[in-house]
Amino acid sequence: MAVLQWIQDLPISAAIAESDSLWWGYAWWLFVHAVGMGLTAGIGFIVCLRLLGVGRQIPLSSLRVLFRLFWFGFYLNLVSGTLLFMTDATGIARVWELYAKLLCLTLALLAMSRLRRFVDSTESDRTIPPAIQKTAVVCLVLWLAVITSGRLIAYAVEARGAVA
Amino acid sequence: MLTPADLVHIHLLLNHFPTVGMIIGVGLFLLGLLNKSEDLKRGAMAVFFAIALISLPTYMSGYSAQKSLRSVPTVSQDVIGFHQRSALFALIFMEAAGVVSWYGLWSSRRRVPVGPRITAAAVLLSVVTIGLMAGAANVGSEIHHPEISSNPEAAISAEGILAPRWLSSEFITRYQYGHPWAWKTLETIHFMGLCLVFGVVLVANLRLLGWMRAAPLEGFHRLLPWGVWGFVANSVTGMLFFIGQAFQYIENPAFHLKMLCILLAGADVLYLTWHEEVWEMEAGATTSALVRVLAASQIVLWIGVIYFGRMLPYIGNAF
Repeated sequence: MAVLQWIQDLPISAAIAESDSLWWGYAWWLFVHAVGMGLTAGIGFIVCLRLLGVGRQIPLSSLRVLFRLFWFGFYLNLVSGTLLFMTDATGIARVWELYAKLLCLTLALLAMSRLRRFVDSTESDRTIPPAIQKTAVVCLVLWLAVITSGRLIAYAVEARGAVA
Repeated sequence: MLTPADLVHIHLLLNHFPTVGMIIGVGLFLLGLLNKSEDLKRGAMAVFFAIALISLPTYMSGYSAQKSLRSVPTVSQDVIGFHQRSALFALIFMEAAGVVSWYGLWSSRRRVPVGPRITAAAVLLSVVTIGLMAGAANVGSEIHHPEISSNPEAAISAEGILAPRWLSSEFITRYQYGHPWAWKTLETIHFMGLCLVFGVVLVANLRLLGWMRAAPLEGFHRLLPWGVWGFVANSVTGMLFFIGQAFQYIENPAFHLKMLCILLAGADVLYLTWHEEVWEMEAGATTSALVRVLAASQIVLWIGVIYFGRMLPYIGNAF
């Protein structure tokens, strides 16, 4: 597709792809993406575990600040993920694992915002309703699926990318 | 950066710590049991945890020692392989003893004395570890101390018990090449473990730094084992990468720095687990300056672990 080729040929994409710099090149953005993953999925895990009963002594209202950190991680990965995609747009757009990841990510974000609404609601320091606990379990599984499909993108591009 | 010769020296220095340390640790533990002293038992468990950390670089630097001896004709490669397998066998039990000991230390905040099952597991695992370590060390001394070799045939005859074949690097490497999904699965688990460790590290240490002050420390203390389970998953998967493809790591400066960050973070964890009073604080309480410094360093160190892990192929030679 012409537009993917155009994205890949942008000066910024080529600069990141070809840079050996550990501070702003491809490796740097991979690192940023890993930290963003730790912030989003990591905090997602903690929020879900708390809603499932781990660390009951932590009031739910204390989780609100964690959601802010979660969104910080999300934007970090939106930027780093987009930049990483741009370096090899034609290769990455061709693997289905990318679309599986984006789907799981969208569902995980929906689940997270449902949990967020519950945490923000006034009644949230009382017992946790079963529907919220079910959402927390689904949310945990979705984060594991995001991590798995994200990891598989790298292998799929490696295996099928050379055909370009 | 560390040269190959430095790494061999590190192996020859470190390899004394696990055996001697474990004997001291078991001695302390038995003394604690006899005198019904919880402090001595806790001290012994702290020793087991510390030795479990030191055992990691001890084992890994062995690959550098092996490489340095590859072209020395008087050294038997079979004996080195035997030493390596028996060391890995001992390492598995050592790490299990370390995890159980951490759990014992962690649980002793709420439960004194430490439960009988944890106590029994810690004693059993550490005693088995000493036996396996003694075996590994004995074979190790056959490599370069032939003057004290009393009975090499007896040592070799113990090979079946001390050093199962499936613990050899060659076996694990062959498995990884023969099953391409194995590496991908291990990497995926490694990333999941990373998220769990990082999530717990971040949330618990941010509370110690003064975030979420409305929450008592108790709830964060309950999160800690989840971080340790994540670390266990990553130690197992990480060791399988290392054993299968050691050449990628042993002379890789990014790997040395990653290990350094892990060991320092482990020392932080030991301090914060040992000082249970930190976790007694009620809602609104502020921790001491030392605890805040440790909490901040813990977050920085784990970001360092992620950084140097991610840089293995870029600073060093890993794929």
